Amino acid sequence: MSVLARSVGNAFRNKVRTAAVVAVLAVAIGLALAMLVANQAVGAKVQELNASVGTVLTVNPAGGQGFEGGGEPLTAEQAATAADVPNVTAVVGTKALRLRNAAEAAAQAAAGTQAGPGGGQGGPGGQTTTTLTTILTAAVDAGTLGARNQDSSGTTAATGSTGSTGTTATTQPARALPITATGTGAEVDSTGKALELTSGTGLGDYTAESTKALLGTTLAEKNNLKVGSTFTINSKTFTVAGLFDAGTAFGNNALYVTLPTAQTLAELPGELSTMIVTVDSMENVDAAKTALQNALGTDKADVTQGQRNLETAVTSLDSVKNISMVAFIAALGTAGLIILLIMVMLVRERRREIGVLKAIGAPNRTICLQFVLEALVLVALGSVVGAVLASFASGGIASALVSSSTGTTAAPAGQRGGGFAGAAGGLPGGQGGPFGGASQLLTSVTASVSPGILAAGIAAVFGVAIIGALVPALLTARIRPIEVLRGE
Amino acid sequence: MIEVKDLVRTFKSGDRTIKPVNGVSFELGQGTLASIVGKSGSGKSTLLSLLGALDKPTSGDVVVNGVSLAGMPDGKLTEYRRRDIGFVFQQFNLVPNLSALDNVMLPMEFAGVRKSVRAERARALLEQVQLDPDKHGRRINRLSGGEQQRVAIARALANEPKLILADEPTGNLDEQTGEHIIALLSSLSRDHNTTILVVTHDRTLANKTDRRFRLQQGKLTEEPVRGRAAEPAAV
Repeated sequence: MSVLARSVGNAFRNKVRTAAVVAVLAVAIGLALAMLVANQAVGAKVQELNASVGTVLTVNPAGGQGFEGGGEPLTAEQAATAADVPNVTAVVGTKALRLRNAAEAAAQAAAGTQAGPGGGQGGPGGQTTTTLTTILTAAVDAGTLGARNQDSSGTTAATGSTGSTGTTATTQPARALPITATGTGAEVDSTGKALELTSGTGLGDYTAESTKALLGTTLAEKNNLKVGSTFTINSKTFTVAGLFDAGTAFGNNALYVTLPTAQTLAELPGELSTMIVTVDSMENVDAAKTALQNALGTDKADVTQGQRNLETAVTSLDSVKNISMVAFIAALGTAGLIILLIMVMLVRERRREIGVLKAIGAPNRTICLQFVLEALVLVALGSVVGAVLASFASGGIASALVSSSTGTTAAPAGQRGGGFAGAAGGLPGGQGGPFGGASQLLTSVTASVSPGILAAGIAAVFGVAIIGALVPALLTARIRPIEVLRGE
Repeated sequence: MIEVKDLVRTFKSGDRTIKPVNGVSFELGQGTLASIVGKSGSGKSTLLSLLGALDKPTSGDVVVNGVSLAGMPDGKLTEYRRRDIGFVFQQFNLVPNLSALDNVMLPMEFAGVRKSVRAERARALLEQVQLDPDKHGRRINRLSGGEQQRVAIARALANEPKLILADEPTGNLDEQTGEHIIALLSSLSRDHNTTILVVTHDRTLANKTDRRFRLQQGKLTEEPVRGRAAEPAAV
């Protein structure tokens, strides 16, 4: 019989005690694994948030806030200046276009409701947004807010006070929301996060000659378009290169073309609507924001940081991560302590047997190894049961930790979509981007027990168990075989 | 073969110094069956533990086949016990959750004997001590006292030691079983040329040994015995 076989046999000498020990170990190990899973899940979420929105600044033309905005448009030179600011890792310029269905625009013109010179205003900060026509039909209805925004931004409002050529309220045809078209320098949304393509490829060549476009899934569906289909904007034909999913119906009522193409369509080469500036880390966001504002000039550009809620949320998540790590270490330590105490008890209980083994010539290392292996058998059983417990409990524990720690700090979900209200000329993300959805992002922390995490956790448990078992096992070396005869 | 030179072992008990072994010297030749008798607490077991390197003497030396145990490091003493000594205890001291066969294989495992060899040899030894083959795989706690002592003797013989030290080997056995064990030890001594030193209260056993020593107040004296020449050779 080998040392291993003897150790396994010894682990089951007293089945009731073994069951009790395994149960206690399983709780400690299960808790440790659940905490590790929660830690990993929260850590991944923090990383995701930091990587996506936590480090993004938005640059708009100065004075472009509100419906009465003015000022100068952003330029490619300013984008280059922004790129030189310390800690800035990427600057993506965008040019916003507003597309109206050509037939609907014609019908509205016939009804005398076509916007005057001031038409097409809107978007974030009321920036000038070029309105173009397309054969595409919007995938979402304007609704009350959309109709009101269109009234206030292009057509004569009910008061009839601002429209230069508009008419006062008459019976008007039902309106659809304009389609948001964005010329972009990279395939990212307003948060700096890569667009999630559901089919097709990217825009590829970023030149003014590019005729490729990426369509939101609902917009494509509404117009029966798929990858390879064509459509027109201002009589120019575009090919659908890919479909993306922004996650919301409004967000998917949009399309992307290359920035040079959009500038060409708008006949405004070099002009930008917005710049999305990514900073290398969340810690540097504030400094980069100040530096960026100084570099661009307060009279030229407004730098905004839309992720304040998320910053607070990420801080909360970080504390959850720390708590779960501390709890993991504590549970791990508890498991080690349990092993230590059990093995001390077993060594004391088997002093005579250890003495006998020594009397008949067993080296200390053999006896030591036997006890360590016995401990590992118990830990292996505890780990199996603990892993099962963790797989059921980790989700609940992670949710409980997140909700208890972030419940008071996360922004209300109702903020979602409130950031750039009526931003017809803004970015798709502006229609409900991530800036107000902190709480939703937090509650979307999902803890899944991956084999890698499980293996790492169990390896840690075994490491601690070896240390825990080694101490009493080494004590066996101090037992002298004479004790056998003394007991005779 | 075994030479004991002026062996002394002292213990502190409060302010008192006890000398259970006080200047013991004797020699035993190969294949001798000897006994040590004496009152309880006279130091018999202490002397046995010194001879078996389970304990270290305060002074003096034990020389086995020309090799001195004095000053030998613990690792070497363990090796000495494993290779040269076989122990038989009054309480048998077998590992309870192992089978008879596994118990006999233990010293061989520690000595690095291959598994197939040790299993074969363990079976042969158990047959030699006349343990029913049906009981070879039986757990120790399912064997009688006499059977357990047979297993203990087989275990003591596992590595073919030169010296077997038996501490009250019949102390926990009934008279008939004790007789069997005495005959078995006698037979082993004769057949294997193994030196056997038995500590006992049992006069019958002591009278059947080649040499008999009495330990009294730490001093060892040899007493005349009838010897085992007239005894039957077989068990």
